[in-house]
Amino acid sequence: MEEVISVSHVTKKFKVYFDKAPNLKDKILFWKRNRHETRTVLDDISFSIKKGEAIGLIGSNGCGKSTTLKLLTKIIYPTEGTISVKGRVSALIELGAGFHPDMSGRENIYINAAIFGLARKEIDAKLDGIIAFSGLGEFIDNPVRTYSSGMYMRLAFAVAINVEAEVLFVDEILAVGDAAFQEKCFQKLIEIRDKGTTIVIVSHSLDQIERICGRSIWIKDGKIQMDGKPADVHRNYMEYMDGRS
Amino acid sequence: MISLLKNLYNYRQMIFSLTHRELRGRYKGSVLGFLWTFLNPLLQMFVYTFVFSIIMRSKIEKYYLFLFVALIPWIFFSTCLTAGSGCVLYSGDMVKKIYFPREVLPLSFVTTAFVNMLYCFVVVFAVLIFSGWGINFFALLYLPIVLAVEFLLTLGITLFTSALTVYVRDLQHILSIFALAWQFMTPVMYSSKSVPEKYLFLFNLNPMTSVVDSYRSILYYKEIPHVRTLTSAVLFGVFFIVFGEIVFSKLQKGFAEEL
Repeated sequence: MEEVISVSHVTKKFKVYFDKAPNLKDKILFWKRNRHETRTVLDDISFSIKKGEAIGLIGSNGCGKSTTLKLLTKIIYPTEGTISVKGRVSALIELGAGFHPDMSGRENIYINAAIFGLARKEIDAKLDGIIAFSGLGEFIDNPVRTYSSGMYMRLAFAVAINVEAEVLFVDEILAVGDAAFQEKCFQKLIEIRDKGTTIVIVSHSLDQIERICGRSIWIKDGKIQMDGKPADVHRNYMEYMDGRS
Repeated sequence: MISLLKNLYNYRQMIFSLTHRELRGRYKGSVLGFLWTFLNPLLQMFVYTFVFSIIMRSKIEKYYLFLFVALIPWIFFSTCLTAGSGCVLYSGDMVKKIYFPREVLPLSFVTTAFVNMLYCFVVVFAVLIFSGWGINFFALLYLPIVLAVEFLLTLGITLFTSALTVYVRDLQHILSIFALAWQFMTPVMYSSKSVPEKYLFLFNLNPMTSVVDSYRSILYYKEIPHVRTLTSAVLFGVFFIVFGEIVFSKLQKGFAEEL
């Protein structure tokens, strides 16, 4: 099988400023005071993911899961090492970023899908499917600012999941909407996985990962602790978490 | 470079929808609305014409035309220089949360300002025709080249300034003073012929000199721009777009962390 994602020797360091000089004057006057410490969030990690695989990323808070996901989506860049992701990417990370509150749900579908790199014609073709999936019905022509937070998330989710990406990143968002909508999202995720979309999920819900993924990666203190079948990885992870509490 | 262009092509819908939103939304809530696009340059033209033809008594024939054909391209450039520098900074929320080629932001800002300039050119042509000054259609064939060169030059500079502004926020304020000085150093309100010989070399280092002179040749003097002027404009345009993109692509990697 073809490799879709490859992460090789990636290290990510953040500079944490104790007191950041926001403007030029302070930067020049207090350049000595501009102290910072470097925090290593990811330390030389490597893994690769094949086409059609579904992967779960697990680990305790602050271990570097979300940083890994941000690196994969090219929002931030690694300090060392290389990352390559092939194909069109869709991300269920920050749902609804780029939504315009004064515009209708329908107009926002166009804007949001454009942010994923779709052309107008492609959006036209998917529009009905997206509206149907969101379950918003006649509300689709109301301004987004009038939506409840659940409706807002449902619309955003409907757009992101219907983009027909080759790679899909999901960050802890399966808590969207009511139980019925969640189940619909699950079915959709499984459906697109079976169609050959590569999926990477970050979650604290091990059950969710076990339902969708065939492989789990446990990240601990910026390193890969374990990589394998979800059942095995999760058993070890649970033992470790129990030992800590 | 080629992969960047391909990527930007994939995101054309986003560029289009950002530009569209900006054009439609800019004057939302103001009484005169879209008319401001034309009123702003017209009012500036009246002020400068008053000062230069009545107080300073410039000997240039139909000074308002002489000024107008250069002022419109200048306003486009200076808008991008001052306001355009903040275009990445003000979209910080999106940059921090989702991936898209960051070049989309300066590109759609410059395109918006460029479309505004094209609207203003409708007024320029109307004034040229109704004042009896006329148009040389043969010279007009060179106008698209000059427009394209100015677009590239402006985009290059906006790429550079908008990326740098993310790291040095003061740049926006510095640039607004800088833009004013730059306007006086560019033959917008006066003719490049009145620049003393010994300073001419310095004036030609200003990329906007050859651009503004080209516009003026075509529209005011009704002649084809001088080959040397046009060549230098093209070279400046290409240089700045390459330079701007190199700097931008280096700096954009840290955007999400700096914002």
